Amino acid sequence: MERELSVVGKRLPRIDAPAKVTGEAKYTVDIKLPGMLFGKVLRSPYAHAMILKIDKSKAEKLPGVEAVITSEDIPVKLFNSGLTDLLVPEEIAKNDPRDQYVLSNKARFVGDAIAAVAARDRKVAEAALDLIEVEYKALPAVFDVVEAMKPGAPKIHDFANGNIARHISFPGAIGDIEKGFQEADVMIEETFNTTKQLHCPLEPSACIASFDSIGRLTVWSPTQLLYLARHKIADIFDIPEGKIRWITPFVGGSFGNALTLRAEPICIALARKTRKPVKLEYSSEEQFIATQSRQPFTIAVKMGVKNDGAITALQGKLTANSGAYYSLSGTTTNVCMAMFATLYRCPNVSVEADIVYTNIPISGGYRGYGNPQAMWALEQVVDVAARRVGMDPVEFRLKNYRRAGDPGWTASLPIESCALEECIKLGMDKIGWREKMGGTKEGVKRRGIGMAIQRHVSGTQPMQMTHSNIMIKMNVDGSADLMVSGCEMGQGMFGVLAQIAAEELGLQIGKIHVVNGDTDETMFDDGQHASRTTYVIGNAIIETARQVKQQLLERASKILATRVDDMYVRDGQIYVRGDLENKISVEDITRRATYNFEGQGRNIAGKCSYVPKGNPPPYSAVFAEVEVDINNGATKLLKIVFAHDIGRAINPTNVEGQLEGGVMHGIGYALTEEYMVNGNNGVVESDSFTNYKIPSTLDMPNVEVIIVEQPTPSGPFGAKSVGECGLNAVAPAIANAIYDATGARVRDLRITPEKILEELSANIL
Amino acid sequence: MSKEIARFTINGRECELLIEPCTSLLEVLRDHLELTGTKSSCGVGECGSCTVLIDNKPQLSCLTLAITVQGKNIVTIEGLASGNNLHPIQQAFVDCGAVQCGFCTPGMILTAKALLDDNPNPSRDEVKEALSGNLCRCTGYVKIVDAVLAAAQIMKKGGA
Repeated sequence: MERELSVVGKRLPRIDAPAKVTGEAKYTVDIKLPGMLFGKVLRSPYAHAMILKIDKSKAEKLPGVEAVITSEDIPVKLFNSGLTDLLVPEEIAKNDPRDQYVLSNKARFVGDAIAAVAARDRKVAEAALDLIEVEYKALPAVFDVVEAMKPGAPKIHDFANGNIARHISFPGAIGDIEKGFQEADVMIEETFNTTKQLHCPLEPSACIASFDSIGRLTVWSPTQLLYLARHKIADIFDIPEGKIRWITPFVGGSFGNALTLRAEPICIALARKTRKPVKLEYSSEEQFIATQSRQPFTIAVKMGVKNDGAITALQGKLTANSGAYYSLSGTTTNVCMAMFATLYRCPNVSVEADIVYTNIPISGGYRGYGNPQAMWALEQVVDVAARRVGMDPVEFRLKNYRRAGDPGWTASLPIESCALEECIKLGMDKIGWREKMGGTKEGVKRRGIGMAIQRHVSGTQPMQMTHSNIMIKMNVDGSADLMVSGCEMGQGMFGVLAQIAAEELGLQIGKIHVVNGDTDETMFDDGQHASRTTYVIGNAIIETARQVKQQLLERASKILATRVDDMYVRDGQIYVRGDLENKISVEDITRRATYNFEGQGRNIAGKCSYVPKGNPPPYSAVFAEVEVDINNGATKLLKIVFAHDIGRAINPTNVEGQLEGGVMHGIGYALTEEYMVNGNNGVVESDSFTNYKIPSTLDMPNVEVIIVEQPTPSGPFGAKSVGECGLNAVAPAIANAIYDATGARVRDLRITPEKILEELSANIL
Repeated sequence: MSKEIARFTINGRECELLIEPCTSLLEVLRDHLELTGTKSSCGVGECGSCTVLIDNKPQLSCLTLAITVQGKNIVTIEGLASGNNLHPIQQAFVDCGAVQCGFCTPGMILTAKALLDDNPNPSRDEVKEALSGNLCRCTGYVKIVDAVLAAAQIMKKGGA
């Protein structure tokens, strides 16, 4: 019998919303400490240069300047600025190059951090930057991966021959790819390129660092990975980890941008040098050029298909542009390969990747984490394949997709649940697939529809170490403090986790107080990545809440003279089953437990360490309708229908919000966002919201979200994840719709009118 | 640099400050008056996060020199609620799920207020047009537009 839910599944307002609509919510940039200095970073104007000499004497003499630091003032330890290498054993982690210093001693991209200043005033800090004299020796630079791999190309890191940082083969490769090609009736060969998408959180990267008189460091920063950031900083600066307190205030958007260290190492280096609190806020331009972004990939695909639509072989050869340093390029590439290789059933699969250094800004991790790149290629190849064998692209997908019981990423963890068919059915009806497929073939403005699917993860089990540690402490008024290490960056974790806690504890939502990520108050969690929070932390909260509930019921059982098993908690009251009059409030129990004059005193509380048992993948089906002007190539996106397999929506409004936002990133990826680097000097031209166009209200079509709820067995109340899913398959759905409308197949992001016209003229010739 | 006196009304209170003439209104609000609800993002007038109302018109405080608002009436997000009662637009943002990270929210709400004061019954397209200078990277704007339309209905019924 399905349990009746009173909090979960409700469209409750987010618990952090009142603070955010009144201006009360504090972000890192809003925090001010007494005596705080302001930091500024000097960045390389060269894409590739030796640093021969730095004279900081003039800057040091400027009144108000408290410190000027260069690579000579900071730890000499090389590190990887991505944080998730800490989640795999050292023998695996060491395969990812550690290639960065806090401040660089050789410039490898325009914007590489060379020196930094701390001053009593922002303007003084800025003025001091101009007084630092750096003597550079410019070196030849390379921005394109093909050029970078050629013999004689400029060498960016000494250890990387041909600038290849790593070559990776997908470990889940199966069968015999050549045999698969031979068995095929139809071969499809296509090459795709993706762009370097920027996260563009509205809160630029920032950090405040302060050492106290006994050398204990407190850091405020908008990181997604609180404990991992602390662990890495402890290692870089050789500070015992217990002497670092790390606090994550509200975060003004991240989308994966804060999966790496950003302003933190330089800010901490300045605070260590000055022994005063230092705030380092990146300017908007620094946010654009000096934080990390999505890896551009070249993906060459070969797919073999039988006339009946069965896929016989799938081969992918990937090249990832890591930019100047390695960061998260390894894990992103692995995710890209895994998503590419395992969305469909196919007996012969081979995927390989080269990760290549160039002199452009660093590639990190971005919402979707390799999956959008994989889907851009795969979901267009599938569209091509379906059309070649004369099948409806939907039917082709339904025939081939991996479903419940099939292997997921790894054979060791089969796919737990899948509601893709329901998503597709509802999405087709909503967009009018059967009526509109094939588009309009007359006139200048051609309409068409396209679709794509995606499968994602609910965390990283079993690929990475992952666990969540939760404490719940009852107050004597019957409310509960939920202590969870995490980052509220807009995704709504506070509200969702409070709903889960309230449901399991039998309390009203207003009785749950979420204590934000603070290493002095909350226990280890690997953080907000891989769409894991609802599934992993949600399950951890349920286990912790059960402990608390057990203590409440044990005390109530003595007072009500009833067995624990015969009672339940709802809306803050403990009831005896079948006897609504026989009850006691949670408040009464908690008060009597704490202020206990019979020698039985106890603060009712629970804590648990939870390792996820599964990783149920959420699926989505995206449908796009477009209108393309074949005279000028302009694309008008008319509609997106997005159907998502959530398992259970803990808060449906929140699920819609995540998907609508994800879809917007997908639309930007497809149509508006273009990263541009000057091919002569490596200057990033996409350095502002004017020069890098993220969608505004006017760029957004009608977006309709359909939530499909088929509870997954291992999920908290049946929930799977949502965070990253919204954007993974939007761009290929739009590209497929453009093909449907015009016959133009655009293989390289961003989709521009020029590329559409080029394809159209090629078709005519 | 010589300083000048700036006098204006902020959230209903008179205010007098000695500032350098090159100081932006955004700096004055955030650094001098500690009204950090007004957000600083792009700093160059592209994103709308720093929007405040100057004599009931939405303006970008990052591009406004504080000495140019002499005698004017400035409202920031902190000045919108009356006591513990949220303004209907604030309440609609809460109720409709229009808030995610919250960084664009103050600017969005103030821009919406100027719209609804001017046009109490806007169409969906008019709301989108009015908010087109306020960037949001979280929501996809769907629920923000919903919230403004919902607030319009409540305000028409005399909710504010």
